[in-house]
Formats: sequence, C-alpha cells, structure tokens
Amino acid sequence: MTIIPILYLKSTLIASIQTELTDEEVLLFQSNLLKKNHKLNTKGVIIDVSTLDVIDSYMAKVLKDLTSMVKLQGSVFLLSGVKPAVSSTLVDMGMMLNNVETFLSLDQAFDYLSTKVQAKK
Amino acid sequence: MTSNKTSALKYAESILCELVIKKEWQISKARQELKKIALSQGYNSTSIVELVTSMSELAYNLFFHTNNGGEIKISVIKCDNGTGIKLACNDSGPGIISIEDALQDGYSTNGGLGGGLPGIKRLMDEFTIASNQHGTSITCLKWLI
Ligand SMILES: Nc1ncnc2c1ncn2[C@@H]1O[C@H](COP(=O)(O)OP(=O)(O)OP(=O)(O)O)[C@@H](O)[C@H]1O
Ligand SMILES: [Mg+2]
Repeated sequence: MTIIPILYLKSTLIASIQTELTDEEVLLFQSNLLKKNHKLNTKGVIIDVSTLDVIDSYMAKVLKDLTSMVKLQGSVFLLSGVKPAVSSTLVDMGMMLNNVETFLSLDQAFDYLSTKVQAKK
Repeated sequence: MTSNKTSALKYAESILCELVIKKEWQISKARQELKKIALSQGYNSTSIVELVTSMSELAYNLFFHTNNGGEIKISVIKCDNGTGIKLACNDSGPGIISIEDALQDGYSTNGGLGGGLPGIKRLMDEFTIASNQHGTSITCLKWLI
C-alpha cells in the first residue's frame, strides 16, 4: 500500500500524488490529510500532480472531494502541475475541475499562498 | 467488424492483450499494457493520455458497476484507413438500465462524476455500446494520427 507523505512547510501542507491510487489508498490519504490539517490549522493545502500521467474521472472526483473537505476546514486547496495532455483530456472528459484552484507549478502555488493568503489565528 | 481478414479491403486485426478486470490492481496493469502498446505503435503523448484515460474509465466501470468484473481486449488494426487501437470491453451483467441516460454528462448511479462513458465517446474516434440484463459490451477505437 502506497502511503503518500504529507509535508508541513510554513503553514502549508504539501503532498505529491505520483501514481494512481486505489480506493483504500485514497481513503487513507484523505483521512491523514484532513487530520493533519485539522491539527495544524494551515493556510492551505497544495497537491502536486506533476508526475501523474492520467487523471481519470475517479481521480478527478478524489480531487474535487478533497477541495470541498479542505475548504470546509477553512483552508485553501490548490492543485499544481497538471500536465498539458492531462488538462486537455480532462476538458474532453467534461471534468473542468471548476472549483479547484490550479497552478502550473508547485513553486507558483506556494508563492501564491505565502503572498496572497493571510495567515489565520 | 471483428472478422480478421476481408479479401476486398485490406483489414487485419491482431489482439495483443486480453485483460481480466476483477480486482482494482488490474486496472493499473491494464493502463500500463495499453501505454506500452500505444507507444510501440507510435501514438503521440496526447493520444496516449486519451487512450489510457478511456481504458481507465472502462476498467473502473467493470470494477464498480458489474457483479464479477469483465474483460478488455486490446487490439491493433491495420487497414486502408491506417492504424488503430481498439478496446473491446465485455462483462456479464447486470447491464445498463438506460444507455441514453448513461451517455449523459453527469449521470451516475453510484455518486461518481458521471463523466466516464460520455468522456470515452469524446476521447475516442469510434464508440459502440450494447447492453442488456445479461451484460454490456463496449467497443471503441482511436486512429493513429
Ligand atoms: N459495465 C457496466 N455495467 C453496468 N452498468 C454500467 C457499466 N458501465 C457503466 N454503467 C452505468 O452507466 C452509468 C454511467 O457510467 P459513467 O462511467 O459515465 O459514470 P460513473 O461510472 O457513474 O461515474 P465516473 O465514471 O464519472 O466515476 C454508471 O453510473 C452505471 O450505472
Ligand atoms: Mg465510470
């Protein structure tokens, strides 16, 4: 079973999904991420998918669900690194991921969080 | 359509891979097999993502919506139209209640996004579907460009 490391850096949680995940792995990742986010009260969560070759409707749903869950916890959810071929396929699939804020790179997503998003407390 | 040789038109179909999809790990194996085949046939990276995404949708549907999984055959077609990769997906039930509904964006019977089948239709060049209570059969094809 793949366990996705979740890193804490300057009030931000960062995780990189590098391969497709099974149902079980998704559930574990979701609950780990939400628990950690609850404990640390972060500004935001960034998920990087720059090594992911395929985002199918299953993975799209996982990302959409995560967005809502993280938002409900009061943090910002950002997605980074969607590959060009993946983004065009997503649109063809009718999965615009409209509610998900996306960035070209992890670097840009992190920059945005540190400069544009106010720390809570 | 599945006859291997026709004398008038040049048409050859070779089945390169027969995948059983019953367990979740077999879905990722199916994607890898298809990717290998598409690369060896010279498909570009966008076409490969489109093919592999379609495979993923077919395989997830077998995993989520059937009783005992099913089978997906990958074949390569060489004919006067050029080269194509065909995915033939078959299962033995319970079937799709309304194909018309199932092909609508956003229609799902189990809380999915409901983009699988309409997505495949857009991503692939040809798409046929037949279903009754004894099973569902979906065939789709993408030409090499
Ligand atoms: N092989 C199958 N056997 C029986 N029913 C199926 C099969 N494939 C699809 N269906 C039915 O068609 C509906 C639409 O399928 P589609 O793949 O478009 O959406 P989904 O699987 O529900 O969600 P998503 O693919 O977005 O995660 C499904 O909800 C299911 O009811
Ligand atoms: Mg589906």
